[in-house]
Amino acid sequence: MKKVVSKKNRGLTKSGPLLLIALPGIVYLIINNYIPMFGVFLAFKDYSYVKGIFGSDWNGFDNFKYLFRQDALLIVRNTILYNLAFIVIGTVCAILVAILMCELGERFRVKIFQSSLLLPNLLSWVVIGFIGYAFLNADTGFINKTIIRLFGGNEVAWYTTPKPWPFILLLVYLWKNVGYSSIIYMASIAGIDKSIFEAAKIDGAKKIEQIRYITIPMLKPTVVILTLMAVGRIFYSDFGLFYQVPMNSGALYDVTQTIDTYVYHGLMELKDIGMAAAAALYQSVVGFVLVVTANAVVRKIDRENALF
Amino acid sequence: MKIWKKGLIIALSLIMVIGLAGCGKSTTGEKDKDGSKSGENKSYDKVVYAYATFNNIPTSEVLDTVEEEINKITREKINVEVELLPIAIFDYSSSVSLALQGGEQIDLFQSLGDFNNSVSSDMAYDITDMIDVYAKETKEILGEDILAACVKDGRLYGIPTYKPYALTPMVVYKQEIADELGIDMSQVKSVFDLTDVLRKVKEAYPDMTPLVPVQTGTSGVNMTIPEVDYLTDDYFSPKGVLMGDSMTVVDYYGTEEFAEICRLVRTWYNEGLILKDAATTTSTSTELMSSDNSFCYIASYSYPPEDTAASISAQVGNIPLGAVQIGEAYLDTTSINALTWMVSSTSKVPEAALKFLNLTFTDPDVINLIIYGIEGRDYVMDEEGYVSYPEGQDASSVPYTAQLSCGTLGNFFLMHPMKGTKKESLIWEEEQNKLAKKSPAMGFTFDSSEVKTEYTAVSNVIQQYLPGLLCGSVDPEVVIPEFRSKLSDAGLDAIIAAKQKQLDEWLKNK
Repeated sequence: MKKVVSKKNRGLTKSGPLLLIALPGIVYLIINNYIPMFGVFLAFKDYSYVKGIFGSDWNGFDNFKYLFRQDALLIVRNTILYNLAFIVIGTVCAILVAILMCELGERFRVKIFQSSLLLPNLLSWVVIGFIGYAFLNADTGFINKTIIRLFGGNEVAWYTTPKPWPFILLLVYLWKNVGYSSIIYMASIAGIDKSIFEAAKIDGAKKIEQIRYITIPMLKPTVVILTLMAVGRIFYSDFGLFYQVPMNSGALYDVTQTIDTYVYHGLMELKDIGMAAAAALYQSVVGFVLVVTANAVVRKIDRENALF
Repeated sequence: MKIWKKGLIIALSLIMVIGLAGCGKSTTGEKDKDGSKSGENKSYDKVVYAYATFNNIPTSEVLDTVEEEINKITREKINVEVELLPIAIFDYSSSVSLALQGGEQIDLFQSLGDFNNSVSSDMAYDITDMIDVYAKETKEILGEDILAACVKDGRLYGIPTYKPYALTPMVVYKQEIADELGIDMSQVKSVFDLTDVLRKVKEAYPDMTPLVPVQTGTSGVNMTIPEVDYLTDDYFSPKGVLMGDSMTVVDYYGTEEFAEICRLVRTWYNEGLILKDAATTTSTSTELMSSDNSFCYIASYSYPPEDTAASISAQVGNIPLGAVQIGEAYLDTTSINALTWMVSSTSKVPEAALKFLNLTFTDPDVINLIIYGIEGRDYVMDEEGYVSYPEGQDASSVPYTAQLSCGTLGNFFLMHPMKGTKKESLIWEEEQNKLAKKSPAMGFTFDSSEVKTEYTAVSNVIQQYLPGLLCGSVDPEVVIPEFRSKLSDAGLDAIIAAKQKQLDEWLKNK
């Protein structure tokens, strides 16, 4: 009996400091993510300022209708496809960068590369939108006036030509986010037991083989957990990326409109709180279902790596 | 597993850092709530007056001094104490609606282009029975016709700001270039006359884009279509409209007038007469006009052309500007109720609020205190009654000013004129209000709540196509049919039908 208690205590002393570290984050989550959950009522109500959240009249699923119209399907497709591309390509690039960074060895160089890769992540989307504008502007942009002129092609009105935009958005996304997400992978790589690599070296494994057979398999748990978390947000989109970077150009909506920007454009005029809440609820319910499903799949294949 | 945990620790600490950063941001907004609880005198009703300011937000100490001056008047006249709540224009609407949801006290606010929505979501107090008692003078000044724009289902929900309502389309241009090339701008009578002028400028200055957009997504040409009643829609997102004297709601995008201006701008675009990025640029017309690369823009103003040119010239580094009228002013319901003062439905002192609102329309001292602040400190007045900033100061350095909000608060015609404007202009403006042609559906407001779903979808389609069409960056021959079929898919017909139904109803009861 005594032994069990002391074991428990030891567990607490061990994880106590960690819990303490997490505490501000947990408090933040409660205040910002749990308390506002009462807002879900709004999604089913015809909101009136006099009657308040709980007193307003119920209106069933009326607030959701606009999200399921024929023309809204394109937006759902955009959101999911972009997010899938971001998850897959983003993860591959982040791992690649992390491995390269770890192979640099010398600390000073690592620090320089790391900082410069992180820098774009600190910029706000508005700033990035204007950097993009400096490149793509039809009248004075760098690409039209310098690069295209150099190779003698025709100038392109970038902000009214939808075709290249999926690639531009992907590129901008990677530029901004890869440095940041590679940090987590770098930490995981740093945590791999050095003796494994040494043993492999003695056995004659080349660098590529070491990466192929040691680093990447060891990274699997991290990849799985991060991917599962990203899947949960597959119905959300980075508003700044899809609104600021294309400069909210109408001609590009077919390829840049996602659920978040669609809701924003649609409700800027109506300012209907109920419909906004409905969109948020829709996104989180789908996200929740996807995470649970994805996790179940992972658990089936490899119990160790599942989130829960 | 060990590695897994390490990764988790890092992830958690990242969350923590992000969390802290988020927390730091969200607390700043609450400070001024405690700071402004002055004047706890119980014998006066306290009214909170929330107004949008285009100037800097003054510090709470400065605000207190202005409030105190206003209170000296209001305590005596109407037994009320006022708390001023200036909110920056760009987040005015959302701040007010959040404050009202959160139960904060705001008794008076303005509907920024959103009369209908404010009423249908119950933000506004029904003042039908109170106006004759507490705001009789205001009612006399405005008259039944103007107030009718704020009536819905026979009930009055607000009082529109009294100002020059009639927007007159104009071309604002650089005088020096016109003189140099010998262009007689007075010959430009309509937007279609502009093409030759633009060509002449382009010929003399091949590197210049003569026409710049007035704001993101429009070259301003849409405002030159004569006699359009937007039936409660935003000017930049019209759905079903009335044209001329007809009482049939029509699809704006199906009219020949619309196709014609789109073709016109397309010609300009193809010839390089308009900025290529007009549909997306976020630069304002004043910024674009300050550069050497522009000649003119099209916009609608409620001031006489000469005054407009003079006041814009001051904002673009004193480049001499001219302005010429290219259309007639037209009044519809929205042009009046776009800026409506409302008593909030959550107000506990609606009578007191209305009494104070009445003062902003009738008492020159009160309205000038709100606009200019305290004489001597915030502004000086010359013998003729023109206002300017104290020596060495300007709008951004005086402790208090809300001068740029002058057209949005109370009674514009009671405000001291700024130096550089003419008192005669005020007479012209008040005349225009009376002379401008009025829509036959004046007083009708459309309630969009039955077609909310369609509204969201249609708004999205409009934002996708309209800027390109109004700036010439797409070919109207190809795009208008595509645009219209998408609108139809999005439910425009249902909106038009709903508008027609409500309009017929309104006509019957008129």
